[in-house]
Amino acid sequence: MLDSSSPHVEPPPAVRRRKPALGSDPFALDVPKNRDKDKSNDKDRIEPDPFLDGLVLLRQTNAVPTQRKPRAGSPRHPAIAIRERTPPKAREWIDVPELADVELPDRTSWVDRLLSDEERRRIASIAHLAGGDAAYDRFGLSADVVRNTLPIMTALYRIYFRVKSSGHENIPKRGPVIMAGNHAGVMPFDAAMVVTDLLLQCDPPRLARTVVDRWAGTLPWVNIFYARSGQVIGTRESFADLLASGQAVVVLPEGMSGALKPFSERYRLQEFRVGFIEQSLAAGAPIVPTAVVGSDDQMPVLLDFSTFAKKLGLPLLPITPTFPWFGPLGLLPYPVSYQIVYGEPLRFYERYSAEDARDPELLRFLSRQVRRAVQRLIDQHR
Amino acid sequence: MSLIRTEAAFGSRIVLTHADSPIGRRLVKSLYHDPSVERIVALGPGPPPSVFDRFLSSDERRLTYSRIDLARHRSMATFFNSSLLKEARIDSMLYVPAHGWPTASVPPLAGGLVSQTAEARLVLKHALELRSLENLICLGSALVYRLSPGNSNLFTESSELDLAPDTSPEIRCWVNADMIFQGEFQNPGLRVVLLRLPSVVGTGGKVYFNPMLAGILKSRIRSMGFDPICALVSDKDVVRAMQLALHSTARGVFNIAGFETVPLSVFGRWIGEPSVPLPRALISLASRMSSFVGRAPAPTSTSSPHLHYGFTLDTQRARLELGFEPGYRIAPGPMVDGRFQLEAAPV
Repeated sequence: MLDSSSPHVEPPPAVRRRKPALGSDPFALDVPKNRDKDKSNDKDRIEPDPFLDGLVLLRQTNAVPTQRKPRAGSPRHPAIAIRERTPPKAREWIDVPELADVELPDRTSWVDRLLSDEERRRIASIAHLAGGDAAYDRFGLSADVVRNTLPIMTALYRIYFRVKSSGHENIPKRGPVIMAGNHAGVMPFDAAMVVTDLLLQCDPPRLARTVVDRWAGTLPWVNIFYARSGQVIGTRESFADLLASGQAVVVLPEGMSGALKPFSERYRLQEFRVGFIEQSLAAGAPIVPTAVVGSDDQMPVLLDFSTFAKKLGLPLLPITPTFPWFGPLGLLPYPVSYQIVYGEPLRFYERYSAEDARDPELLRFLSRQVRRAVQRLIDQHR
Repeated sequence: MSLIRTEAAFGSRIVLTHADSPIGRRLVKSLYHDPSVERIVALGPGPPPSVFDRFLSSDERRLTYSRIDLARHRSMATFFNSSLLKEARIDSMLYVPAHGWPTASVPPLAGGLVSQTAEARLVLKHALELRSLENLICLGSALVYRLSPGNSNLFTESSELDLAPDTSPEIRCWVNADMIFQGEFQNPGLRVVLLRLPSVVGTGGKVYFNPMLAGILKSRIRSMGFDPICALVSDKDVVRAMQLALHSTARGVFNIAGFETVPLSVFGRWIGEPSVPLPRALISLASRMSSFVGRAPAPTSTSSPHLHYGFTLDTQRARLELGFEPGYRIAPGPMVDGRFQLEAAPV
């Protein structure tokens, strides 16, 4: 709706207005200045900003005709240097300091009393991963939640599953790395123990981010806990972003078919998916084969009613000796002993480029190489 | 600075929509102090904000303000055929949309278009007809992307848009506007730039472009068991991004975001309006009750994935092609009158 009474038109004085041919032009009305300069507020005044100077130079650069080639030897326009000041640069890796370089923080809460000095030092060393001042990273990781859950995870790691691990020398101290492991036992305690092991046994400690299935994001409360503790829903973009920032990513390429495989096929790996190979080639990240021995015995699957479960809207419906007979308590794993072994890293990116990742046959071939390496580790340490 | 002023003979002549909105006001102030901007024609449905008084009464006469309803064909046609615009020889248009969303109380315009979609159509139509116009810089919303379950949705500019038929109306109008502008990205005669924004935090902790924070019955509600992550950007950074887009030669879509990503519950506490987690059925009931008692209904459909899942934006393209880096960090400042005052501090 036009309001002819209020427009404030201030045409340039040099321009002479013509009389409109058709009726009056409401936008051509001169409105006397009814505003007082004294009303101006000092807080509206903007301080000199170097950003504005940069804008002017940027515009001058763009005003140079692109068709005209600069003469050889002519001095470059200073504004061109301004534009070229923003070269394409890769994401910087987020490094974690070694434990010896980390100052032991004070005990500030009751959770700190449950943690040893070394564990508190480890938590302090990774605190900056969660976005610094914001306290959350872009996927919802919270260092406070990691710290608060560490006593529980440590108890599971040391007392319940009695984890023994080896091969930490194969894990790069910095930069992106993909830990590709086996998956079994319905509940993802194997991945949780790998993450805890990397946090407690590596120096500098590595806070691994586990790539989880999409349906995990649909579960109330579970999705919040997963996000705060560093688990990430597996999309190409999120996976690539984690590797680009130099983080360690745990993948379980068997997926749910590994977690629900029958007891008769325990310690036999299912077909691996290929997405992590593609990401490895694109990001130049080594793949560390990771074997978790023990998880296949934690909850033997007798029958799998996943097809029926999907019709009911459930993610899975396994039949185990304890589930569903004991209700949710039946999903608790048996207190089996875990052994985690890290194999020698596979650096496919040294031989194949990111463009090669478009070849599905190659991806399947490399995926089978990783599967074979994990299977070999399982067979050696079982 | 005087040298720059003399060199700015090629300065931009800009028309700016919704200049009376919070982002528009800030944009006008920044453009006015930008020496490479020669003339600003500000449009808005309301009276000129008082912060423009000093600029309107200035002897420089670089700013003009006109009241106009951008969603009406007649008023837009009158304005674009006016002598004011012809004299101004506009070469760039900055389209700042209204930060609100359609509600049941506002009847749809003719043709069944909600006002925001109608605005986008009319703005583009007249921008194409205006011969002198070379640049069209538009603000859009990042709510247009299709959400997957979880909080790990990291969207690039090429991510899939939410074109599902059951998309809620307030998201749909953003998608429509987005696609209207996308149709002209390859136009050789008009450079179109579309900036997709997450939740914009303005002065005093006011939040724009986030329908989840509009609330039902004046309370903030979120779905129980879910806490979507919110990407934030300061309105000062939005203005910087628009200025960079104006002066660059890039075209196409750019994601713009700040440093901070916080869960909705934390963000609610930051702005002094904590969100209440309720079961989905109860949210649906509350929405119907609020409609029944005459209040505006829930701004987001109760089945909307935005009540459950969050997203963040990949701003790499804006960094490389526009040179945009967020310059402000958002954090809760001291508590005033029982609520935090969000502050945007320069990095």
